[in-house]
Amino acid sequence: MAQFFPKWTNQLPPIITGAGILFVVFAVFFFFYWGSPKFTDVGYRPVQPVPYSHKLHAGDLGIDCRYCHYQVEYSRHANVPATKVCMNCHSIIGTDRETLDLVRESYANNTPIEWVRVHMLPEYAYFEHAIHLRAGVGCISCHGNVAMMEEVLQVQTLSMGWCLDCHRNPEDHIRPPSQVTNMYWMPPSDHEEWVHQFIDEMQINPPEDCSACHR
Amino acid sequence: MPQVNDDKTQKPDKFWRSYDQLENNSEYQKFVEAEFPGEEPSPETEIKRRTFLGIMGASMALAGSVGCRKPVQTIVPYVNQPESLVLGVPQHYASVMPFGTSSYPVMVTTNEGRPTKIEGNPHHPSSLGKTNAFMQASILNLYDPDRSKNISQNGVPASWENFIEFWAEHKTTLDETRGAGFAIIAEEFSSSSMARLQDQFHRTYPHAKWVTYSPISDRNILSALESAVGQPVRPKYHFDRAKAILSLDADPFLLDSDNVSNAHGFAQGRHAENINDEINRLYAVESGMSVTGAAADHRLRLPSHKMGAFLLAVAHVLADEGVQIQFDLPVMQSEPEWNEWIQALVSDLLHHRGESIVVAGRNQPKTVHLLVHTINAALGTIGNTIEYYPAETTDFSDFDELKSLILQMAAGEISTVVCLGTNPVYNAPSDLNFALALGNVEHRIHLGTHVDETARIASWHIHQAHFLEAWGDVTNIDGSTSIVQPVINPLYLAKSELEVLYTLITGQDRSSYGVVRDTWERRRDSSESTWRQMLHDGIHPNDSRDPLPAQPITRQIQESVDLNVLLVEGRGFEVVFSADYSSYGGLFSNNGWMQELPDPVTKMVWDNAALISPRSAEERHVQTGDMVRISFDCCTMLIPVWVAPGHADNSITLPLGYGRRNIGRVADGVGYDTYILRRTEHMDFVTGASITRAEGERILASTQNHGSMEGRPLIREATMQEYHDDPHFAQHMVHVPDLQSLWNEHQYDEGYQWGMSIDLNACIGCSACVLACQAENNIPIVGKRQADYGREMHWLRVDRYYAGDDDDPQVGFQPVACHHCEMAPCEQVCPVAATVHDQEGLNMMTYNRCIGTRYCSNNCPYKVRRFNFFNYTNSLPELVQMVQNPDVTVRTRGVMEKCSYCVQRINRVKRQAKLENRELQDGEVMTACQQACPTNAIKFGNLLDRNSEIVHEKQSERSYEILAEFNFRPRTSYQAKLRNPNPSINDQEHS
Repeated sequence: MAQFFPKWTNQLPPIITGAGILFVVFAVFFFFYWGSPKFTDVGYRPVQPVPYSHKLHAGDLGIDCRYCHYQVEYSRHANVPATKVCMNCHSIIGTDRETLDLVRESYANNTPIEWVRVHMLPEYAYFEHAIHLRAGVGCISCHGNVAMMEEVLQVQTLSMGWCLDCHRNPEDHIRPPSQVTNMYWMPPSDHEEWVHQFIDEMQINPPEDCSACHR
Repeated sequence: MPQVNDDKTQKPDKFWRSYDQLENNSEYQKFVEAEFPGEEPSPETEIKRRTFLGIMGASMALAGSVGCRKPVQTIVPYVNQPESLVLGVPQHYASVMPFGTSSYPVMVTTNEGRPTKIEGNPHHPSSLGKTNAFMQASILNLYDPDRSKNISQNGVPASWENFIEFWAEHKTTLDETRGAGFAIIAEEFSSSSMARLQDQFHRTYPHAKWVTYSPISDRNILSALESAVGQPVRPKYHFDRAKAILSLDADPFLLDSDNVSNAHGFAQGRHAENINDEINRLYAVESGMSVTGAAADHRLRLPSHKMGAFLLAVAHVLADEGVQIQFDLPVMQSEPEWNEWIQALVSDLLHHRGESIVVAGRNQPKTVHLLVHTINAALGTIGNTIEYYPAETTDFSDFDELKSLILQMAAGEISTVVCLGTNPVYNAPSDLNFALALGNVEHRIHLGTHVDETARIASWHIHQAHFLEAWGDVTNIDGSTSIVQPVINPLYLAKSELEVLYTLITGQDRSSYGVVRDTWERRRDSSESTWRQMLHDGIHPNDSRDPLPAQPITRQIQESVDLNVLLVEGRGFEVVFSADYSSYGGLFSNNGWMQELPDPVTKMVWDNAALISPRSAEERHVQTGDMVRISFDCCTMLIPVWVAPGHADNSITLPLGYGRRNIGRVADGVGYDTYILRRTEHMDFVTGASITRAEGERILASTQNHGSMEGRPLIREATMQEYHDDPHFAQHMVHVPDLQSLWNEHQYDEGYQWGMSIDLNACIGCSACVLACQAENNIPIVGKRQADYGREMHWLRVDRYYAGDDDDPQVGFQPVACHHCEMAPCEQVCPVAATVHDQEGLNMMTYNRCIGTRYCSNNCPYKVRRFNFFNYTNSLPELVQMVQNPDVTVRTRGVMEKCSYCVQRINRVKRQAKLENRELQDGEVMTACQQACPTNAIKFGNLLDRNSEIVHEKQSERSYEILAEFNFRPRTSYQAKLRNPNPSINDQEHS
């Protein structure tokens, strides 16, 4: 009786097994890499309606973060400034600059500017800016060096695991509260000693319970 | 296995919730045993294999297409941010909710300009920071998606300018005739701006008519007191000072005016710290079971029309005891079964002379209230437990005026009628045929929140502003002024009563703020700083009046009153028209929260029914749900029956405010319109009705069997005598063995450890907590059918238990929410750890982890977990979603949810304390239910703070935990209820 299957089919089982293993490895890697916030979220840099440069304002001009985000110490949100805040300066500076047309229009017509959100947390996660500032967590820890960014982009994953990393070992991210907005602050030599003293003094005990952020 | 019901005193079947349970019939068994009723496949719900495959295929295909794109969210900041506004930090404004001749002071929470929650105003004596269900639910009326959204002329949309134009022209004709042929039908009010404009109205149009009509009104009480005292007054009751209370067909704790402060006072007078404390004694005589009757130590069932005779009998005995009753009491034959009761009552009233309150309900006729007044005066309570404060207006509903107006309308003598916030086509007495008469009027102007029955036949309809949208003022009972302060611009540019009235008088436009300020500036004591103070506190700092001194009634009044009318015997069945706890005569018809709030006593939702006593039902061969025909000589109606334990025999209670058509998605098709039986000659109650079984049945949804814990001693109570004999009776009712755990227990011994205590002795079952929880925690409503399956989403329910004989049962209430067990059975069965404990002892739901197995609900002994069978919130109109609390996650389909001890409030307060570098104070964290509770029954706090109120409460002798014998270690405990029966009354006491 003639061979029903040609001879090369003998190779099929190992090939299929191999391909299968490769596929599984690939699938795992696919989700691990392309599915993780590191890939999906980090580097997200949407185009904003007004080409506002953080590098110019916060970096070159050295305006403190809290000039615009002035409620960050009191609220859960770091407020995006009202048009009026822009106009504090720009009613005098750059009054003929085209890029500011939308701002002036907004101010004149009382129509808000729709900024595109960069740092998005899911709606069931309640992050609190004010309490982190009190604990001496610098802006840079989550937002990166904004003073270097022409347009703001996301530099951290903002995933729950990333939050917990810091909640478990907060020491590395704590600085004197007076330095929270300083993008170029370097820990002094006695920092480690100071941090532990500060944590005790301020009763900083980052919660790891679900209920800390989810309600 | 620990032993359950290991007690000698309490039979396991002492308490019962429903007739189904009493009979233990198969339907009840099926309901209790089915963990999630309503899942039995039916021809409509069954999914065929092909359909299933189709749906699955489509879902798989679609699943790939979502989540490809990162959603783009925008941040929209202000152009000019208000200085005081911190985004993410809610603001609070004092205001006041006008409610007929009374008012409820409120503190409104707004989030970025969006009002989301109403609390009581702690600075105000009528609220003391507490609320009732109506206040809580009123915020949903603001976001009612079926509100009228524009002005219309003959059904065609028009603008406010159009109306002003029309009116300016029409006004010239009215000015010529000095207002002849012009009439306004307005609601009762207690407001100086309204009074000022009313005065101006009469001066501008001397021949015009102002008719006051509110379907639910205190007219009997107010007119009686006006003639008794000689000037218009409003009574203020101090239940906290009263030792003996007689409530006569009244409901001072939930439906009557000033009920929040009444309930608060009553609970204070009932507080027992230990066995040496004396508590008040409440006698209630009533036809239908009310919340007040349920709280009574002695309750006598009596048809409403016999209240007068009963009160006369009381007056006779008082007179025999030497009390000077100012009336000549007619000779009467008291009913023998009253004698013992009345003797005991009178001895209590005399024993506590000056420390008693006799109060009669608004349904009782003027004569009864006059007699109540004389009894109160004779017992020396006026000026002590009851204070009369002068009122500024005497304007309450007057049916004679309404009738004569309608006759004139029918005769074509009226050319212009304005229904100012009223809806007489729906709720005017049916014999007047208002709709027909209105047809004869040329200009029919209507101001109302909905395109309702009157609006539909009006020539002009103006949409009315909610009290949170427009300025106004009210005069509180004690004469002090409160300002109705709006917290949001009118959503649809709606107009308030004041604005419309101003335009009607002057032909010009003026904002409600302008009108209120005009009134204010006319006052001698007006100053900007006082105005600001008044806005901030919600009450004028020092313009309250002094109560009137007690004075005898005049001879003239004595002679004009014929007490013999009280002795008229009724015939046939009595019908009582009453406001109810959900719709309040139609005010909350289209309010889903109110419709789904189980009636405190019957636990019925989404319906009204004729309430009759078990004996009457038996005589007529009807059961709950059967349709009956109720008829008088003149009119008849069909309505289902609800057999209400404790109802008076031969009496029918008909709740008003249902059976609406084309009002809105909630109101339509709910219940039956009982206004059609209400006539000018009998607005309150009437005898001579007949009730017969009619064709058909109606499913009446009720939550009374939901969350049953099957006969265990959950609610515990004792009489004062039993409490004296054994102060720890509550703990002794169940034997809790030495308990050991199978695994190492977590020690909750640092930080904050939260706990709750609920005092059943204070709880009156009013259900304000249920609504407060609903508003705070974004809890959806599910509708009648789902509620009937037991799928209502309330995180907090109030179980109502009957005890004893069904003709005349005692009633107990027990609020039950998640107990936050330290050894939580739900956590042990969750396959995905979606419900876990946190360090502070809270049993938390992590919605995002939940996969909806519902094992936790199966295993929860308290039956407090709620499952989202549908995506209830997502399908809500955007307007309704505006009411949601931004601090609480909105749940989606397929996840379990439950009480979180208001963790968002805990976190907020903790965060605030940290930002201010201080320790948390005791009492700073208040759960929503605790904050709302008018009787302070709910306490919450840190169990590790030895000086805290919660620790004090938990150490009480009466404190007990339910199902403690199973080692769940619940964080919520209860304090047993006390009853204070008069030892000399030997009615069938069951305890």
